[in-house]
Amino acid sequence: MSPARERRSPTLASAVFWLAPPLLCLVLYWRGFTAWFRADDFAWLGTGLYIQNFHDFLVAIFAPQAQGTIRPLSERVFFMLGFSLFGLDALPFKMVVFATQFANLALVASIGARLTGLRWAGFFAAIFWVLNSSGIEPLGWCCVYNQVMCGFFLLLAFHFLLRYVETGERRYNLFQWAAFLLGFGALELNVVYPAIAAAYTLLCVPAKGKDRPGGLSYLPMFAVSIAYALAHNAVAPAWKTGGYAMHFTGAMFRTLGKYWTWSVGPTFLFTPYYLPKWLLPAGIAVVSAGLLGFLAWKLRAGRRAALFCLVWYLAVLAPVLPLRDHQTEYYVFLPSIGLCWLGGWAAVSGWRAGVRGRAAVIALAAIYALMGVPTLLAASQWNHAITMRVRNLVEGVAGVHERYPSKSILLEGVDTDLFWNGVLDRPFRLFGLDHIYLAPGSGKRIASHPDLGNIDDYILPAGVVAQALQREELVVYDVRGRRLRNITAIYAALPGESGLPLRVDAASPLSSYLLGPEWYPSDGDHRWMPRRAALRMGAPSTPGQKLYLRGSCPDEQLRAGSLPVTVTVEDVTLPATAIRPGENAFELVFALPDSVVGKAEMRVTVEVGRVIRPASDPRDLGLVFGTFEVR
Amino acid sequence: MTHKLLTERRAAVRLCCSLILMALVLAPTGCKKKKVRVGATDEDTPKMMSVLNMGDPKVEPQLIKGLHGIEASAWRWTEKQFTVALRPPFGSGQKGARLTVKLTVPPVAIEKLKNVSLSATAGGSALPPETYTTAGDYIYVREIPASLLTGDSLRVDFQLDKAMAPSGADIRELGIIVLNIGLESK
Repeated sequence: MSPARERRSPTLASAVFWLAPPLLCLVLYWRGFTAWFRADDFAWLGTGLYIQNFHDFLVAIFAPQAQGTIRPLSERVFFMLGFSLFGLDALPFKMVVFATQFANLALVASIGARLTGLRWAGFFAAIFWVLNSSGIEPLGWCCVYNQVMCGFFLLLAFHFLLRYVETGERRYNLFQWAAFLLGFGALELNVVYPAIAAAYTLLCVPAKGKDRPGGLSYLPMFAVSIAYALAHNAVAPAWKTGGYAMHFTGAMFRTLGKYWTWSVGPTFLFTPYYLPKWLLPAGIAVVSAGLLGFLAWKLRAGRRAALFCLVWYLAVLAPVLPLRDHQTEYYVFLPSIGLCWLGGWAAVSGWRAGVRGRAAVIALAAIYALMGVPTLLAASQWNHAITMRVRNLVEGVAGVHERYPSKSILLEGVDTDLFWNGVLDRPFRLFGLDHIYLAPGSGKRIASHPDLGNIDDYILPAGVVAQALQREELVVYDVRGRRLRNITAIYAALPGESGLPLRVDAASPLSSYLLGPEWYPSDGDHRWMPRRAALRMGAPSTPGQKLYLRGSCPDEQLRAGSLPVTVTVEDVTLPATAIRPGENAFELVFALPDSVVGKAEMRVTVEVGRVIRPASDPRDLGLVFGTFEVR
Repeated sequence: MTHKLLTERRAAVRLCCSLILMALVLAPTGCKKKKVRVGATDEDTPKMMSVLNMGDPKVEPQLIKGLHGIEASAWRWTEKQFTVALRPPFGSGQKGARLTVKLTVPPVAIEKLKNVSLSATAGGSALPPETYTTAGDYIYVREIPASLLTGDSLRVDFQLDKAMAPSGADIRELGIIVLNIGLESK
């Protein structure tokens, strides 16, 4: 070998070592990289919309949000900063996501090499992680960036622990602490890091006399994790019921079994191919046997780093095992790193063990890849396609608004996928549009998920549509094609319903014709009433139906105690009620008198016991609405 | 190996720092006053149609209820009840018009239901039913009086006496297959 070639080969090997995993990641997850926003993304993008002062800012960053989560860095700051800089341009968000994941892959390779003492074991660990189908959502859906960022801080802290153990330099311990503490800004899962650090120190670091390099540096971290868990539970108590309730029962082992199959095989055991039913379980069994066999072999040889790989898997998975009724594919994204280190180690060891070993390595790696990659590609394709539909809808609505800035917009043809991914989280408010509605009858085309939201909240009643079309306050667009199509003329010519609606959105300007003159003008997504206000709406068709009033009552109004509310239907005064302090978002329910059953319409009057007059608003303010609904 | 990793790590750290610096410098240029790209829309205001070909997605707004999605770019399954809105053809307000429904009664419907009757109500006025006892292609034709055709549109409600209930094989309620529904001038 020439000297020049001798110099080049290590350089080429290094380039492959560091660049091949991110390049493979980019190739396999290209559809994720080029996807747009959908669903929860829009809720997070709107985090900063209502910030008016420093208190609002702190609330936006630190207040518990969806399911009581507090993730200031990976969700609040990520989306607020991204939206303020780039608006609804998804590419910069995806660049951050993928850059973080590339750093994760470098850390997985580097840590894997250190753990096993085999450079290429780290490399194959990174490759196996890329091939794992659990990366679809973290890399394809911006709101799951918390997983990618949490992985970064966990791996970075662990990397510094390894450096601390290697060198004994205190600065690495400080870096470890910094990464560990920052990790709490990414995801609650970060609490497991002390267990990882302790497991590594106890299993893999040989004691030198009475001392052990790395020492007991992990002990104070346990205190931090416990303090974080207690504080988090105090501000956002764990759910007792529903999908996010924790069940510390034998179901945790069943959940673990399921997550194991998703870790070594495709998530949800989904494959886009028609395969015999036994094939996937058989593939999972073969790969599992290979991994566990290698683990046993290494443990017999006294290599406890192999056990550490399994500990990583179990420790990082442990916090989600009690979530019996909420199993999600990306929950195995970070735990599977441990199995990938073990797999990378097994691959290199097997390769070095002769022809049979090489054949086994190739076979097992091929089975693993053939189970995961087709799922990964198919699911990425689905994700990409739905985000493109959402993009067409959102950007199309922006185009309609530019053409008809003073008109409300009615969308015809929204289906299940489009509603839950592109309408539910109200993406249109991100550019100032509150009055976007679904056409009457849309509910029939959309599968219901009451736990996620109420479709009826988005549908404009037929009677209101007819009135709005007559007054030319509404344009109607068909959303089924690639471009939104103006069908206002057709819609206006359709036989319409003239009756009064059973559900009145008092905030909507289109409902103004139903409200008495005393109501104040709409403030976009809400409308104030003075001390007393009335409206007309449809009457119940059968006895037993109730009247629901939904709105909000500000703290200023409740400082003087409970706020008495009196509702009158026609001339019948319903039982008096009150909104109590703390019930800022209220729902009041009233049985309706039989005298209005079957009538074409009824008059509802609401009166509150007092009004407020804030310094910034000269009006007498009673309550904020909200909706009135008979059902 | 550790030394090699360290050297490479330094290079990687330098590269990362440079990229982060570049990103920070370029970030303000990405600042947007406009938060969303404005998408083009199709403003060729379509008119209401008198004849609805079921394979044409543009007729969707006139399919008020009870018709499933397009199949084979040509037809749709109905539910037990289905409703469309049709534009009265030119001059029909004086002469009246003919309602035609091109339909197929599939063998599976006859196997399961033995026979099926189709009736309709146009603008609130009942039209005579027709019963199909064998599978095949049919045209349901009924006269519509001029008095019902003076508005911008005519609502036609169709009703089958039976339909196939949702099942494991198909979660939809299935009635008959419709290819075309229209109003023709006399």
